Amino acid sequence: MIVTRRRMIEAGGGFFLAALLARPALSAGAVIDVEMHGKDDGAHVWFDPIGIHIEPGQTIRWTNRDPGNSHTVTAYHPDMFERRLRIPVDAKPWNSDYLMPGETFSVTLTVPGVYDYYCVPHEHAGMVGRIVVGVPPAPVETATAADPTPLPDIALDAFPPVDEIIAKGIVRKA
Amino acid sequence: MKLVSAALSLVLASALPALAHDIPADVAKSPPAGAFKAVSSLVKLPDFLPGMGQLFVDPASLPAGPFLAYDHDGKLVSTIYMLPIKDLNPDKRFDDLASPGGNVDHVSVYYNAGHPGVEEPHAHVVLWHVAKADEARVAK
Repeated sequence: MIVTRRRMIEAGGGFFLAALLARPALSAGAVIDVEMHGKDDGAHVWFDPIGIHIEPGQTIRWTNRDPGNSHTVTAYHPDMFERRLRIPVDAKPWNSDYLMPGETFSVTLTVPGVYDYYCVPHEHAGMVGRIVVGVPPAPVETATAADPTPLPDIALDAFPPVDEIIAKGIVRKA
Repeated sequence: MKLVSAALSLVLASALPALAHDIPADVAKSPPAGAFKAVSSLVKLPDFLPGMGQLFVDPASLPAGPFLAYDHDGKLVSTIYMLPIKDLNPDKRFDDLASPGGNVDHVSVYYNAGHPGVEEPHAHVVLWHVAKADEARVAK
């Protein structure tokens, strides 16, 4: 049996409730902004913030603030480039396509859970992000086959832990 | 003999400054002649990339290039090669890459995480045809 990384991350589910009681998610109704950035020479690219905790029904808006590159914000979902599911089963996946500098893309997330996303040309540079919506359901361990399109280690290592996102509300790249 | 040397010196003295800044006419101004296409017409990228300029490439030469980079006035500033990191290994070579831009003032090499057109992490090898101070012409 292979336990997916998300399941491992969620294994500390008891901690989540305590964290939620300690700090509410970002104010309901507000549009939450996430920016796409890159160094001038393109050596580093990232989402800012990289982790965010919101309430169901809130809208996330991504804006490309990188003047020298284009980026996507794409959910990990079988319908999007046949990637393994890393958003809630009932959630609708998204793919912004390439956003040029200054362009924006928004989604409204209604299903509680953990949403992982990435930038198509920059996943190999670790340009990923994670959104926690409401109270994630308790983790369920399931047997899974090997991932035919595994994430590179640099992307896996970049996801902030769910409990940290819930505890802090916003997590920025170190 | 002295006369010949003097004449040769005179010829070289007049020719060298011209050679130092000599850029072939077919690529000196944008758009370059031949099979070169604007990168922004091939993939979804801004037409002018801060730090590099307006890029042109022959699609048949991807991913290595050469990419020809121009400033806001359409003057050639650099020739860029984009070499995938995974291809920098004992079994791969990049030989006989075209270098149509003429004389080189200095060279920069740096890592790039990827972008449309060359999605994988790669190295930019930049042959600057202008002086270091003139890199500012494509800074923004």
